[in-house]
Amino acid sequence: MGTESMASQQLSAPVIIFLLVLFFGGTLFMSVMIGKKKENADGYMNAGQNIGFGIAATSMTATWIWASSMYASATAGYTYGISGPIHYGLWGALMILFIYPFGRRIRAVAPRAHTLAEVMHARHGRSSQLMLAGSNVLGSLISLTSNFIAGGALVAMLSPFNFTQGILVMAAGVLLYTLWSGFRASVLTDFAQAVAMLGAVAVIIPVVFFAAGGPGMFEAGAQNLTPQQSSFFSSDAFLNQGAPYIAAVLAYAIGNQTIAQRLFAVREDLIKPTFITATIGYGATVIGIGMLGVMALYLGMEPMGGDVNNLIPQIATTFLGPILLCVFFIMIIGALASTADSDLSALSSIMMADVYGQNVAGRKKANPKTMLFVGRVTMVVATGAALYFASGQMNILDLLVFVGAMWGALVFPVIASFYWGKVTNAAFTVATLAALALFIPVRFEMLPDNIAIDLGVDVLSVLGIGVVLGLMAFGFFGLKPALWIGSIAAVVSAPFAIGFLHDYHVLSGSLVAYSVSTVVCYLMSFRNKKDFDFALIDQRIGEFDREESSDEDPTPAH
Amino acid sequence: MGTLALTAYVLVWPAIVAAVLFFLVRGFVKDWREAREEGRSII
Repeated sequence: MGTESMASQQLSAPVIIFLLVLFFGGTLFMSVMIGKKKENADGYMNAGQNIGFGIAATSMTATWIWASSMYASATAGYTYGISGPIHYGLWGALMILFIYPFGRRIRAVAPRAHTLAEVMHARHGRSSQLMLAGSNVLGSLISLTSNFIAGGALVAMLSPFNFTQGILVMAAGVLLYTLWSGFRASVLTDFAQAVAMLGAVAVIIPVVFFAAGGPGMFEAGAQNLTPQQSSFFSSDAFLNQGAPYIAAVLAYAIGNQTIAQRLFAVREDLIKPTFITATIGYGATVIGIGMLGVMALYLGMEPMGGDVNNLIPQIATTFLGPILLCVFFIMIIGALASTADSDLSALSSIMMADVYGQNVAGRKKANPKTMLFVGRVTMVVATGAALYFASGQMNILDLLVFVGAMWGALVFPVIASFYWGKVTNAAFTVATLAALALFIPVRFEMLPDNIAIDLGVDVLSVLGIGVVLGLMAFGFFGLKPALWIGSIAAVVSAPFAIGFLHDYHVLSGSLVAYSVSTVVCYLMSFRNKKDFDFALIDQRIGEFDREESSDEDPTPAH
Repeated sequence: MGTLALTAYVLVWPAIVAAVLFFLVRGFVKDWREAREEGRSII
């Protein structure tokens, strides 16, 4: 209440309405400009797979930066001190970079794909596809909900309007400009949103820095930091913030359809510069916002109501004048809208390609008009569902961390399926389910207190460390260096990890998911004498709008 | 970290963001020009 009354003095109702009309009106105008009377189903999902560097890199950057990542980075800075934002933003940025070599491979074997799950259908069959699609849907729905909550909270804090009015406006605004043109609208409007966000970050951070006292604050406020918070090499920051994120680097990129969708949309020769630019853009933006949390720590600020999510708006209302406060408002709205429209596009693509296109009508019989209808209905239903969840104000970040760790179970089976012809549908499915079966009791501390069990969790976690680093190395350097790096990482970490890693449930749960899925997938695959012909994937995935009937159906038998 | 290093550490990020923004806008303008010259939609 105190927060609302304080903030309402900063931005009045007419100003908030003007900013919302300006933002959503502008994005709607951009969407209308590219709207076609007859939208194309493939274009609705991947924009013709020929978008240039400027749009693709901007869209990738804008999509990956969501409102919660700004809040979380500032929280990391406030909680863990000067290294906190690095341990949030750097690993988040590397999620984009480390998926790039795999992205090139995925695009090479499936040049006309719309979703990653669709490729799994072509590679393995229905169960693998639906497992991946299901996890993608869950992740996008949670992300959508989180962005609506961030918007509602921001409106409630900075204006006389309440949370419910805030989430309704955000949901309606995003749905309005995304509904007709789908992914095309999402990608184009990302440009305006990224310019607003990045421009605001470039201005707001230096302004706050000097308004808060400039370099003098580091001397005057040094006593507000613990030795760990003052250290650039804080073990607290690494173990509690950085390490779980490193483990999740590949999982988020594999589990998040918004990244895959841009991978399939960008011109193939531009994948590398797009991913590298987005990595730097995301990293600098989110780490930069995290510096606001570091400054708050030096200044000895207490978050309003004890809620660290209030830190960024609190800093904004304290140090920014009316004009820059409007810029700040647009920055947060840009962050949430660019991710929310991508989530809507991702959800609609999954329902269009994976549910209707592959499993209801069948690829050859799928009607593009019906697909478009399915996509648009999905957007409306997803918005309604996210509004319902948002109205309950669930702890979305906890849910997201859970889903992110759960995605660890899918990483090895998915990546191996693109390189190793011996991986079967059964190996994929059983490995993922086995990893989930062990992940859940480890993550939620459901295992009995027993030294042998703790030791088992630690050993699996150490294996998981090897798998994570091995997979990262594999993308860039190939199999042999990956095996070396993975093995060395496991051996070197074992003396430090065995005996205590089981106490870090988020981290050990995620690592166990990696190791179990890898071991089971490998053991079920290596004796397989059949080697999959990857050229079949391209034959099995086509453009829905231009598909011509063929006598031969290359879809795998289930 | 000393005061000067901390100042640089805080201010380097908005500088990088500004540089990335420049490249993104330049790339977008290039995409837009190419699309206009070829008579097609930018997306």
